[in-house]
Amino acid sequence: MKDSTNTGWIFVLPAVLVLGLVGLVPLITVINYSFFEIFILDARFWIGTEWYDAIIGSERFWASFGRSTLFSMLVLLIQIPLGIAIALCIPRRKFWIGVTLAVVALPLLVPWNMIPSLWLSLLDPDTGILGRILPSMGWPVDWKLSVVHTWLVIIVMDVWHWTSLVVILCYSALTIIPASYYQAAAIDGAGPWQVFRFIQLPKLYHVLLMAILLRFMDSFMIYTEAFPINAGGPNGATMFLAVDLGEEIKAFNYGPSAARSVLYFMIILMVAWMFSKAQGKLDDGSSGKAT
Amino acid sequence: MLIRSLPFVKTVVLWAFIAFACLPLVQMTIISFIATLPKPGVDVGSMTLRNYAGIWEDANLRSAFINSIAYVFINICITIPVAIPAAYAFSRMSFVGDKHLFLAFIAFRITPPVVLTLPIFQLFSSLGIVNSVFGIALAHCLFNLPISIWILQGFISAIPKEMDETAFLDGYSRPRFIWKVLLPQIAPGIAVTAFFCFMFSWVEVVFARILTTTNGKPISMAINALFGFQTDIGLVMAVAAASMMPGAVLLFAMRNHLSRGFKIGKV
Repeated sequence: MKDSTNTGWIFVLPAVLVLGLVGLVPLITVINYSFFEIFILDARFWIGTEWYDAIIGSERFWASFGRSTLFSMLVLLIQIPLGIAIALCIPRRKFWIGVTLAVVALPLLVPWNMIPSLWLSLLDPDTGILGRILPSMGWPVDWKLSVVHTWLVIIVMDVWHWTSLVVILCYSALTIIPASYYQAAAIDGAGPWQVFRFIQLPKLYHVLLMAILLRFMDSFMIYTEAFPINAGGPNGATMFLAVDLGEEIKAFNYGPSAARSVLYFMIILMVAWMFSKAQGKLDDGSSGKAT
Repeated sequence: MLIRSLPFVKTVVLWAFIAFACLPLVQMTIISFIATLPKPGVDVGSMTLRNYAGIWEDANLRSAFINSIAYVFINICITIPVAIPAAYAFSRMSFVGDKHLFLAFIAFRITPPVVLTLPIFQLFSSLGIVNSVFGIALAHCLFNLPISIWILQGFISAIPKEMDETAFLDGYSRPRFIWKVLLPQIAPGIAVTAFFCFMFSWVEVVFARILTTTNGKPISMAINALFGFQTDIGLVMAVAAASMMPGAVLLFAMRNHLSRGFKIGKV
Protein backbone atom coordinates (compact mmCIF):
# COMPACT_ATOMS: atom_id res chain seq x y z
CA MET A 1 0.00 0.00 0.00
CA LYS A 2 1.28 3.47 -0.81
CA ASP A 3 1.44 6.27 1.73
CA SER A 4 -1.32 8.73 1.18
CA THR A 5 0.43 12.03 1.59
CA ASN A 6 0.51 15.22 -0.39
CA THR A 7 4.20 15.76 0.38
CA GLY A 8 4.55 13.71 -2.80
CA TRP A 9 4.07 16.97 -4.66
CA ILE A 10 7.29 18.34 -3.18
CA PHE A 11 9.16 15.37 -4.64
CA VAL A 12 7.68 15.73 -8.10
CA LEU A 13 7.95 19.53 -8.08
CA PRO A 14 11.36 19.76 -9.83
CA ALA A 15 10.11 17.48 -12.60
CA VAL A 16 6.92 19.52 -12.90
CA LEU A 17 8.96 22.73 -13.18
CA VAL A 18 11.29 21.39 -15.87
CA LEU A 19 8.47 19.89 -17.93
CA GLY A 20 6.44 23.05 -17.37
CA LEU A 21 9.25 25.06 -18.93
CA VAL A 22 10.00 22.83 -21.92
CA GLY A 23 6.52 21.37 -22.38
CA LEU A 24 3.67 23.38 -20.94
CA VAL A 25 4.87 26.93 -21.69
CA PRO A 26 5.55 26.15 -25.38
CA LEU A 27 2.23 24.36 -25.57
CA ILE A 28 0.34 27.37 -24.25
CA THR A 29 2.27 29.55 -26.70
CA VAL A 30 1.13 27.48 -29.69
CA ILE A 31 -2.45 27.44 -28.43
CA ASN A 32 -2.27 31.23 -28.25
CA TYR A 33 -0.73 31.62 -31.72
CA SER A 34 -3.21 29.27 -33.32
CA PHE A 35 -5.98 31.87 -33.12
CA PHE A 36 -4.02 34.68 -34.78
CA GLU A 37 -2.87 35.75 -38.20
CA ILE A 38 0.79 36.57 -37.59
CA PHE A 39 3.09 38.36 -40.03
CA ILE A 40 5.66 39.41 -37.52
CA LEU A 41 5.25 38.60 -33.86
CA ASP A 42 4.48 42.22 -32.89
CA ALA A 43 1.65 42.60 -35.39
CA ARG A 44 -1.06 39.99 -35.14
CA PHE A 45 -4.79 39.80 -35.70
CA TRP A 46 -7.32 37.68 -33.94
CA ILE A 47 -8.98 35.45 -36.49
CA GLY A 48 -10.65 32.90 -34.26
CA THR A 49 -10.73 29.34 -35.48
CA GLU A 50 -10.01 30.09 -39.13
CA TRP A 51 -6.77 28.09 -39.24
CA TYR A 52 -8.50 25.10 -37.66
CA ASP A 53 -11.33 25.29 -40.18
CA ALA A 54 -8.85 25.46 -43.01
CA ILE A 55 -6.89 22.43 -41.78
CA ILE A 56 -9.84 20.24 -40.86
CA GLY A 57 -11.62 21.21 -44.07
CA SER A 58 -8.67 20.31 -46.28
CA GLU A 59 -8.51 17.01 -48.08
CA ARG A 60 -4.74 17.08 -47.78
CA PHE A 61 -4.94 16.87 -43.99
CA TRP A 62 -7.25 13.88 -44.01
CA ALA A 63 -5.19 12.17 -46.69
CA SER A 64 -2.02 12.51 -44.57
CA PHE A 65 -4.01 11.47 -41.52
CA GLY A 66 -5.10 8.31 -43.32
CA ARG A 67 -1.59 7.55 -44.53
CA SER A 68 -0.10 8.05 -41.06
CA THR A 69 -2.76 5.82 -39.50
CA LEU A 70 -2.12 3.08 -42.05
CA PHE A 71 1.62 3.39 -41.54
CA SER A 72 1.33 3.16 -37.75
CA MET A 73 -0.96 0.14 -37.99
CA LEU A 74 1.44 -1.70 -40.30
CA VAL A 75 4.38 -0.80 -38.08
CA LEU A 76 2.60 -2.07 -34.97
CA LEU A 77 1.40 -5.25 -36.70
CA ILE A 78 4.97 -6.10 -37.67
CA GLN A 79 7.07 -4.76 -34.80
CA ILE A 80 5.06 -5.95 -31.81
CA PRO A 81 4.77 -9.66 -32.80
CA LEU A 82 8.33 -9.63 -34.18
CA GLY A 83 9.64 -8.01 -31.00
CA ILE A 84 7.90 -10.63 -28.84
CA ALA A 85 9.19 -13.44 -31.04
CA ILE A 86 12.79 -12.21 -30.90
CA ALA A 87 12.58 -11.69 -27.14
CA LEU A 88 11.45 -15.32 -26.80
CA CYS A 89 14.37 -16.47 -28.95
CA ILE A 90 17.06 -14.86 -26.80
CA PRO A 91 19.29 -17.58 -25.39
CA ARG A 92 19.30 -18.53 -21.72
CA ARG A 93 23.01 -18.32 -20.96
CA LYS A 94 24.01 -15.07 -19.27
CA PHE A 95 26.96 -14.30 -21.52
CA TRP A 96 24.88 -14.60 -24.70
CA ILE A 97 21.95 -12.62 -23.29
CA GLY A 98 24.10 -9.53 -22.85
CA VAL A 99 25.85 -9.86 -26.20
CA THR A 100 22.60 -10.48 -28.10
CA LEU A 101 20.81 -7.55 -26.49
CA ALA A 102 23.73 -5.23 -27.16
CA VAL A 103 23.95 -6.22 -30.84
CA VAL A 104 20.20 -6.04 -31.32
CA ALA A 105 20.15 -2.54 -29.79
CA LEU A 106 22.78 -1.13 -32.17
CA PRO A 107 20.27 0.40 -34.64
CA LEU A 108 18.97 2.62 -31.83
CA LEU A 109 22.34 4.41 -31.74
CA VAL A 110 22.33 5.68 -35.32
CA PRO A 111 21.60 9.43 -35.59
CA TRP A 112 18.09 9.71 -37.00
CA ASN A 113 19.04 11.82 -39.99
CA MET A 114 21.55 9.12 -41.00
CA ILE A 115 18.96 6.37 -41.09
CA PRO A 116 17.46 7.24 -44.49
CA SER A 117 21.00 7.77 -45.85
CA LEU A 118 21.99 4.32 -44.61
CA TRP A 119 19.05 2.66 -46.32
CA LEU A 120 19.44 4.61 -49.53
CA SER A 121 23.07 3.60 -49.57
CA LEU A 122 22.09 -0.01 -48.93
CA LEU A 123 19.74 0.14 -51.93
CA ASP A 124 22.23 1.89 -54.20
CA PRO A 125 22.43 -0.18 -57.41
CA ASP A 126 26.22 0.34 -57.72
CA THR A 127 27.59 0.17 -54.19
CA GLY A 128 24.75 -1.07 -51.99
CA ILE A 129 24.66 -4.62 -50.65
CA LEU A 130 20.91 -4.95 -51.24
CA GLY A 131 20.93 -2.74 -54.32
CA ARG A 132 23.18 -5.22 -56.11
CA ILE A 133 21.28 -8.35 -55.04
CA LEU A 134 17.64 -7.26 -55.16
CA PRO A 135 17.26 -6.40 -58.88
CA SER A 136 17.97 -10.04 -59.76
CA MET A 137 15.02 -10.95 -57.53
CA GLY A 138 12.63 -8.65 -59.34
CA TRP A 139 13.19 -5.43 -57.40
CA PRO A 140 12.81 -2.53 -59.87
CA VAL A 141 15.80 -0.20 -60.20
CA ASP A 142 13.44 2.77 -60.37
CA TRP A 143 11.64 1.73 -57.16
CA LYS A 144 11.21 5.38 -56.25
CA LEU A 145 8.46 5.61 -58.87
CA SER A 146 6.44 2.88 -57.22
CA VAL A 147 4.17 3.55 -54.25
CA VAL A 148 4.33 -0.02 -52.95
CA HIS A 149 8.12 -0.19 -53.07
CA THR A 150 8.59 3.17 -51.36
CA TRP A 151 6.22 2.15 -48.58
CA LEU A 152 8.04 -1.15 -48.27
CA VAL A 153 11.40 0.57 -47.87
CA ILE A 154 10.09 2.97 -45.21
CA ILE A 155 8.38 0.19 -43.27
CA VAL A 156 11.40 -2.12 -43.37
CA MET A 157 13.55 0.82 -42.31
CA ASP A 158 11.30 1.56 -39.34
CA VAL A 159 11.19 -2.13 -38.39
CA TRP A 160 14.98 -2.16 -38.49
CA HIS A 161 15.25 1.00 -36.43
CA TRP A 162 12.73 0.32 -33.68
CA THR A 163 12.02 -3.40 -33.25
CA SER A 164 15.03 -3.52 -30.90
CA LEU A 165 13.22 -1.34 -28.40
CA VAL A 166 10.25 -3.73 -28.37
CA VAL A 167 12.67 -6.65 -27.94
CA ILE A 168 14.40 -5.03 -24.95
CA LEU A 169 11.08 -4.12 -23.34
CA CYS A 170 9.60 -7.61 -23.82
CA TYR A 171 12.75 -9.37 -22.72
CA SER A 172 12.89 -7.36 -19.49
CA ALA A 173 9.31 -8.40 -18.72
CA LEU A 174 10.10 -12.08 -19.44
CA THR A 175 13.01 -12.10 -16.99
CA ILE A 176 10.77 -11.43 -13.98
CA ILE A 177 8.75 -14.64 -14.45
CA PRO A 178 9.73 -16.96 -11.55
CA ALA A 179 11.24 -20.30 -12.56
CA SER A 180 8.58 -22.09 -10.49
CA TYR A 181 5.92 -21.06 -13.05
CA TYR A 182 7.78 -22.91 -15.78
CA GLN A 183 8.30 -25.95 -13.53
CA ALA A 184 4.59 -26.04 -12.72
CA ALA A 185 3.80 -25.81 -16.44
CA ALA A 186 6.22 -28.67 -17.18
CA ILE A 187 4.54 -30.84 -14.54
CA ASP A 188 1.15 -30.10 -16.08
CA GLY A 189 2.57 -31.14 -19.46
CA ALA A 190 2.01 -27.75 -21.07
CA GLY A 191 3.43 -27.29 -24.55
CA PRO A 192 5.43 -24.26 -25.67
CA TRP A 193 2.30 -22.55 -27.03
CA GLN A 194 0.45 -22.98 -23.74
CA VAL A 195 3.45 -21.72 -21.78
CA PHE A 196 3.49 -18.65 -24.00
CA ARG A 197 -0.25 -18.09 -23.93
CA PHE A 198 -0.86 -18.58 -20.20
CA ILE A 199 2.45 -17.72 -18.52
CA GLN A 200 4.58 -15.46 -20.69
CA LEU A 201 1.99 -13.36 -22.51
CA PRO A 202 0.10 -12.23 -19.38
CA LYS A 203 3.40 -10.99 -17.92
CA LEU A 204 4.00 -9.02 -21.10
CA TYR A 205 0.74 -7.07 -21.08
CA HIS A 206 2.00 -4.04 -19.16
CA VAL A 207 5.18 -3.69 -21.12
CA LEU A 208 3.42 -4.31 -24.43
CA LEU A 209 1.01 -1.52 -23.65
CA MET A 210 3.95 0.82 -23.18
CA ALA A 211 5.65 -0.50 -26.32
CA ILE A 212 2.45 -0.01 -28.34
CA LEU A 213 2.06 3.52 -27.00
CA LEU A 214 5.64 4.53 -27.81
CA ARG A 215 5.73 2.84 -31.19
CA PHE A 216 2.29 4.10 -32.20
CA MET A 217 3.01 7.72 -31.41
CA ASP A 218 6.54 7.77 -32.80
CA SER A 219 5.50 6.16 -36.06
CA PHE A 220 2.31 8.22 -36.34
CA MET A 221 4.43 11.37 -36.17
CA ILE A 222 7.38 10.03 -38.18
CA TYR A 223 9.28 12.99 -39.58
CA THR A 224 13.05 12.86 -39.83
CA GLU A 225 13.37 9.36 -41.22
CA ALA A 226 10.59 8.97 -43.74
CA PHE A 227 10.82 12.15 -45.79
CA PRO A 228 14.36 11.87 -47.22
CA ILE A 229 13.72 8.36 -48.57
CA ASN A 230 11.61 9.62 -51.43
CA ALA A 231 10.73 13.25 -50.60
CA GLY A 232 7.19 12.21 -49.69
CA GLY A 233 6.71 10.75 -53.14
CA PRO A 234 5.81 9.30 -55.50
CA ASN A 235 3.01 11.84 -55.87
CA GLY A 236 2.77 12.49 -52.16
CA ALA A 237 2.07 8.81 -51.40
CA THR A 238 4.40 8.91 -48.39
CA MET A 239 3.49 12.37 -47.08
CA PHE A 240 2.81 11.74 -43.40
CA LEU A 241 1.20 14.07 -40.86
CA ALA A 242 4.36 15.53 -39.38
CA VAL A 243 5.81 16.43 -42.79
CA ASP A 244 3.14 19.09 -43.41
CA LEU A 245 3.83 20.59 -40.01
CA GLY A 246 7.57 20.55 -40.62
CA GLU A 247 7.12 22.37 -43.92
CA GLU A 248 5.01 25.10 -42.32
CA ILE A 249 7.51 25.57 -39.51
CA LYS A 250 10.34 25.89 -42.01
CA ALA A 251 8.32 28.63 -43.76
CA PHE A 252 7.68 30.31 -40.38
CA ASN A 253 3.90 30.28 -40.85
CA TYR A 254 3.18 30.85 -37.17
CA GLY A 255 -0.62 30.67 -37.23
CA PRO A 256 -1.21 27.56 -39.36
CA SER A 257 1.70 25.64 -37.84
CA ALA A 258 0.44 26.48 -34.35
CA ALA A 259 -3.07 25.33 -35.18
CA ARG A 260 -1.65 22.12 -36.61
CA SER A 261 0.50 21.60 -33.49
CA VAL A 262 -2.57 22.00 -31.29
CA LEU A 263 -4.56 19.51 -33.38
CA TYR A 264 -1.70 17.01 -33.20
CA PHE A 265 -1.38 17.55 -29.48
CA MET A 266 -5.08 16.80 -29.07
CA ILE A 267 -4.52 13.49 -30.85
CA ILE A 268 -1.59 12.84 -28.49
CA LEU A 269 -3.68 13.60 -25.41
CA MET A 270 -6.42 11.29 -26.62
CA VAL A 271 -3.94 8.47 -27.17
CA ALA A 272 -2.35 9.06 -23.75
CA TRP A 273 -5.79 9.03 -22.16
CA MET A 274 -6.73 5.74 -23.85
CA PHE A 275 -3.38 4.38 -22.69
CA SER A 276 -4.09 5.28 -19.06
CA LYS A 277 -7.57 3.75 -19.32
CA ALA A 278 -6.12 0.55 -20.71
CA GLN A 279 -3.49 0.53 -17.99
CA GLY A 280 -6.18 1.01 -15.35
CA LYS A 281 -8.06 -2.00 -16.74
CA LEU A 282 -4.89 -4.12 -16.65
CA ASP A 283 -4.18 -3.10 -13.06
CA ASP A 284 -7.75 -3.93 -11.99
CA GLY A 285 -7.47 -7.28 -13.72
CA SER A 286 -4.18 -8.23 -12.07
CA SER A 287 -5.13 -7.02 -8.58
CA GLY A 288 -8.49 -8.80 -8.90
CA LYS A 289 -6.67 -12.06 -9.52
CA ALA A 290 -4.27 -11.51 -6.64
CA THR A 291 -6.98 -11.18 -3.99
CA MET B 1 8.60 -33.08 -34.29
CA LEU B 2 7.74 -29.39 -34.27
CA ILE B 3 8.43 -29.10 -30.57
CA ARG B 4 11.74 -30.93 -30.74
CA SER B 5 13.03 -28.57 -33.42
CA LEU B 6 11.97 -25.45 -31.48
CA PRO B 7 15.42 -24.56 -30.06
CA PHE B 8 16.85 -24.86 -33.56
CA VAL B 9 14.13 -22.62 -35.02
CA LYS B 10 14.75 -20.09 -32.27
CA THR B 11 18.45 -19.92 -33.03
CA VAL B 12 17.80 -19.48 -36.75
CA VAL B 13 15.22 -16.72 -36.16
CA LEU B 14 17.56 -14.90 -33.79
CA TRP B 15 20.51 -15.06 -36.18
CA ALA B 16 18.34 -13.93 -39.07
CA PHE B 17 17.23 -10.92 -37.04
CA ILE B 18 20.78 -10.10 -35.96
CA ALA B 19 21.89 -10.28 -39.60
CA PHE B 20 19.04 -7.93 -40.54
CA ALA B 21 19.97 -5.53 -37.72
CA CYS B 22 23.62 -5.49 -38.77
CA LEU B 23 23.15 -5.27 -42.55
CA PRO B 24 22.90 -1.46 -42.86
CA LEU B 25 25.73 -1.12 -40.33
CA VAL B 26 27.94 -3.41 -42.40
CA GLN B 27 27.15 -1.29 -45.45
CA MET B 28 28.04 1.83 -43.47
CA THR B 29 31.32 0.38 -42.27
CA ILE B 30 32.35 -0.79 -45.75
CA ILE B 31 31.70 2.61 -47.35
CA SER B 32 33.42 4.42 -44.51
CA PHE B 33 36.67 2.72 -45.56
CA ILE B 34 36.31 3.56 -49.26
CA ALA B 35 37.48 6.75 -50.94
CA THR B 36 34.39 8.19 -52.61
CA LEU B 37 35.69 11.55 -53.83
CA PRO B 38 38.92 12.14 -55.75
CA LYS B 39 41.65 13.29 -53.39
CA PRO B 40 45.39 13.50 -53.92
CA GLY B 41 47.10 10.17 -53.41
CA VAL B 42 43.98 8.00 -53.21
CA ASP B 43 42.04 6.47 -56.09
CA VAL B 44 38.27 6.64 -55.97
CA GLY B 45 36.93 3.28 -54.89
CA SER B 46 40.07 2.08 -53.15
CA MET B 47 40.34 1.14 -49.51
CA THR B 48 41.51 3.96 -47.30
CA LEU B 49 41.62 5.28 -43.77
CA ARG B 50 41.41 8.79 -45.14
CA ASN B 51 37.78 9.25 -44.15
CA TYR B 52 38.51 8.63 -40.50
CA ALA B 53 41.56 10.85 -40.67
CA GLY B 54 39.28 13.46 -42.25
CA ILE B 55 37.13 13.57 -39.13
CA TRP B 56 40.15 14.41 -37.04
CA GLU B 57 41.39 17.06 -39.46
CA ASP B 58 38.05 18.89 -39.73
CA ALA B 59 37.68 21.38 -36.88
CA ASN B 60 33.88 21.49 -37.34
CA LEU B 61 33.55 17.75 -36.94
CA ARG B 62 35.83 17.69 -33.93
CA SER B 63 33.84 20.38 -32.17
CA ALA B 64 30.61 18.60 -33.16
CA PHE B 65 31.75 15.53 -31.22
CA ILE B 66 32.59 17.67 -28.22
CA ASN B 67 29.23 19.48 -28.45
CA SER B 68 27.31 16.21 -28.62
CA ILE B 69 29.11 14.78 -25.61
CA ALA B 70 28.62 18.05 -23.72
CA TYR B 71 24.87 18.36 -24.25
CA VAL B 72 24.18 14.70 -23.54
CA PHE B 73 26.20 14.99 -20.34
CA ILE B 74 24.36 18.17 -19.25
CA ASN B 75 21.04 16.54 -20.10
CA ILE B 76 21.85 13.55 -17.89
CA CYS B 77 22.96 15.88 -15.08
CA ILE B 78 19.58 17.64 -15.20
CA THR B 79 17.40 14.60 -15.81
CA ILE B 80 18.65 12.14 -13.18
CA PRO B 81 18.54 14.38 -10.06
CA VAL B 82 15.11 15.67 -11.05
CA ALA B 83 13.75 12.23 -11.94
CA ILE B 84 14.86 10.38 -8.79
CA PRO B 85 12.61 12.19 -6.26
CA ALA B 86 9.71 12.15 -8.74
CA ALA B 87 10.14 8.42 -9.36
CA TYR B 88 10.28 7.87 -5.60
CA ALA B 89 7.06 9.81 -5.11
CA PHE B 90 5.23 7.91 -7.88
CA SER B 91 6.49 4.62 -6.52
CA ARG B 92 5.80 5.10 -2.81
CA MET B 93 3.25 7.84 -2.24
CA SER B 94 -0.23 8.52 -3.39
CA PHE B 95 -1.10 12.18 -3.60
CA VAL B 96 -3.90 14.27 -5.04
CA GLY B 97 -3.67 14.15 -8.84
CA ASP B 98 -0.80 11.64 -9.06
CA LYS B 99 -2.44 9.62 -11.84
CA HIS B 100 -3.24 12.73 -13.86
CA LEU B 101 0.27 14.01 -13.42
CA PHE B 102 1.73 10.74 -14.65
CA LEU B 103 -0.62 10.91 -17.64
CA ALA B 104 0.61 14.44 -18.37
CA PHE B 105 4.22 13.23 -18.20
CA ILE B 106 3.46 10.39 -20.60
CA ALA B 107 1.73 12.86 -22.93
CA PHE B 108 4.89 14.97 -23.02
CA ARG B 109 7.03 11.89 -23.72
CA ILE B 110 4.98 11.04 -26.77
CA THR B 111 4.75 14.62 -28.00
CA PRO B 112 6.91 14.68 -31.12
CA PRO B 113 9.52 17.47 -30.95
CA VAL B 114 8.28 18.88 -34.26
CA VAL B 115 5.01 19.93 -32.56
CA LEU B 116 6.85 22.19 -30.11
CA THR B 117 9.86 23.34 -32.15
CA LEU B 118 8.63 26.85 -32.94
CA PRO B 119 7.65 27.98 -29.42
CA ILE B 120 10.65 26.27 -27.86
CA PHE B 121 12.90 28.13 -30.27
CA GLN B 122 11.24 31.43 -29.29
CA LEU B 123 11.27 30.69 -25.59
CA PHE B 124 14.90 29.66 -25.66
CA SER B 125 15.97 32.68 -27.70
CA SER B 126 14.31 34.98 -25.19
CA LEU B 127 16.15 33.09 -22.44
CA GLY B 128 19.34 33.44 -24.46
CA ILE B 129 20.14 29.72 -24.67
CA VAL B 130 19.88 29.02 -28.41
CA ASN B 131 23.07 28.04 -30.22
CA SER B 132 24.41 26.55 -27.02
CA VAL B 133 24.67 23.00 -25.81
CA PHE B 134 22.67 23.95 -22.73
CA GLY B 135 19.60 24.74 -24.85
CA ILE B 136 19.57 21.31 -26.51
CA ALA B 137 20.19 19.62 -23.17
CA LEU B 138 17.18 21.36 -21.65
CA ALA B 139 14.90 20.74 -24.65
CA HIS B 140 15.70 17.03 -24.57
CA CYS B 141 14.30 16.83 -21.03
CA LEU B 142 10.90 16.87 -22.74
CA PHE B 143 11.23 13.19 -23.61
CA ASN B 144 14.11 12.05 -21.37
CA LEU B 145 12.60 13.15 -18.07
CA PRO B 146 9.32 11.18 -18.39
CA ILE B 147 11.12 8.06 -19.60
CA SER B 148 13.67 8.36 -16.75
CA ILE B 149 10.93 8.68 -14.17
CA TRP B 150 9.29 5.61 -15.62
CA ILE B 151 12.48 3.49 -15.59
CA LEU B 152 13.58 4.62 -12.10
CA GLN B 153 10.09 4.10 -10.75
CA GLY B 154 10.33 0.45 -11.78
CA PHE B 155 13.66 0.04 -9.99
CA ILE B 156 12.41 1.74 -6.81
CA SER B 157 9.21 -0.33 -6.78
CA ALA B 158 11.36 -3.48 -6.90
CA ILE B 159 12.82 -2.58 -3.49
CA PRO B 160 10.69 -3.85 -0.60
CA LYS B 161 8.77 -1.16 1.21
CA GLU B 162 9.94 -2.54 4.59
CA MET B 163 13.30 -0.94 3.93
CA ASP B 164 11.75 2.54 3.94
CA GLU B 165 9.89 1.79 7.14
CA THR B 166 12.92 0.47 9.05
CA ALA B 167 14.89 3.53 7.96
CA PHE B 168 12.14 5.86 9.16
CA LEU B 169 12.06 4.04 12.52
CA ASP B 170 15.81 4.61 12.73
CA GLY B 171 15.11 8.30 12.46
CA TYR B 172 15.87 8.94 8.80
CA SER B 173 13.95 11.70 7.08
CA ARG B 174 12.69 10.97 3.58
CA PRO B 175 15.34 13.04 1.75
CA ARG B 176 18.10 11.54 3.90
CA PHE B 177 16.68 8.06 3.31
CA ILE B 178 16.75 8.64 -0.47
CA TRP B 179 20.34 9.89 -0.33
CA LYS B 180 21.82 7.36 2.12
CA VAL B 181 19.80 4.18 1.60
CA LEU B 182 17.88 4.29 -1.65
CA LEU B 183 20.53 5.66 -4.02
CA PRO B 184 23.11 2.92 -3.39
CA GLN B 185 20.33 0.33 -3.87
CA ILE B 186 19.21 1.65 -7.23
CA ALA B 187 22.69 2.46 -8.57
CA PRO B 188 22.33 0.01 -11.51
CA GLY B 189 18.97 1.61 -12.26
CA ILE B 190 20.56 5.03 -12.39
CA ALA B 191 23.19 3.72 -14.78
CA VAL B 192 20.53 2.18 -17.04
CA THR B 193 18.50 5.40 -16.96
CA ALA B 194 21.54 7.47 -17.84
CA PHE B 195 22.23 5.12 -20.72
CA PHE B 196 18.73 5.51 -22.13
CA CYS B 197 18.96 9.30 -21.75
CA PHE B 198 22.22 9.17 -23.65
CA MET B 199 20.69 7.01 -26.35
CA PHE B 200 17.55 9.06 -26.98
CA SER B 201 19.40 12.36 -26.74
CA TRP B 202 22.42 11.47 -28.87
CA VAL B 203 20.38 10.58 -31.95
CA GLU B 204 17.69 13.26 -31.78
CA VAL B 205 17.77 15.77 -34.62
CA VAL B 206 14.65 17.97 -34.65
CA PHE B 207 15.46 20.06 -31.57
CA ALA B 208 19.15 19.83 -32.33
CA ARG B 209 18.53 21.38 -35.74
CA ILE B 210 16.27 24.25 -34.72
CA LEU B 211 18.29 25.18 -31.63
CA THR B 212 21.70 25.33 -33.32
CA THR B 213 21.67 27.60 -36.35
CA THR B 214 25.12 29.09 -35.95
CA ASN B 215 26.87 27.51 -33.03
CA GLY B 216 26.95 24.45 -30.84
CA LYS B 217 26.10 22.03 -33.66
CA PRO B 218 26.00 18.37 -32.59
CA ILE B 219 27.23 15.45 -34.72
CA SER B 220 23.91 14.86 -36.47
CA MET B 221 23.89 18.45 -37.73
CA ALA B 222 27.55 18.31 -38.69
CA ILE B 223 26.67 15.28 -40.83
CA ASN B 224 23.85 17.26 -42.44
CA ALA B 225 26.29 20.01 -43.29
CA LEU B 226 28.43 17.48 -45.18
CA PHE B 227 25.67 16.86 -47.71
CA GLY B 228 26.01 19.21 -50.65
CA PHE B 229 26.67 19.45 -54.36
CA GLN B 230 29.40 16.82 -54.16
CA THR B 231 28.84 14.73 -51.10
CA ASP B 232 31.78 12.76 -49.79
CA ILE B 233 29.63 9.81 -48.80
CA GLY B 234 32.65 7.93 -47.48
CA LEU B 235 33.31 10.70 -44.99
CA VAL B 236 29.61 10.85 -44.09
CA MET B 237 29.59 7.13 -43.31
CA ALA B 238 32.84 7.43 -41.35
CA VAL B 239 31.33 10.19 -39.20
CA ALA B 240 28.19 8.13 -38.68
CA ALA B 241 30.24 5.08 -37.72
CA ALA B 242 32.38 7.15 -35.37
CA SER B 243 29.26 8.71 -33.83
CA MET B 244 28.05 5.25 -32.89
CA MET B 245 31.28 4.35 -31.12
CA PRO B 246 30.66 5.97 -27.71
CA GLY B 247 27.17 4.47 -27.64
CA ALA B 248 28.40 1.04 -28.66
CA VAL B 249 31.04 1.08 -25.91
CA LEU B 250 28.44 2.08 -23.32
CA LEU B 251 26.02 -0.49 -24.72
CA PHE B 252 28.51 -3.32 -24.23
CA ALA B 253 29.46 -2.06 -20.79
CA MET B 254 25.77 -1.97 -19.82
CA ARG B 255 24.68 -5.13 -21.62
CA ASN B 256 23.90 -7.20 -18.53
CA HIS B 257 21.81 -4.44 -16.99
CA LEU B 258 19.92 -3.46 -20.14
CA SER B 259 17.05 -5.84 -19.78
CA ARG B 260 16.47 -4.77 -16.21
CA GLY B 261 15.77 -1.22 -17.26
CA PHE B 262 12.11 -1.63 -17.90
CA LYS B 263 10.62 -3.39 -14.90
CA ILE B 264 6.97 -2.61 -15.08
CA GLY B 265 5.28 -1.23 -12.04
CA LYS B 266 1.89 0.17 -11.31
CA VAL B 267 1.39 3.85 -10.90
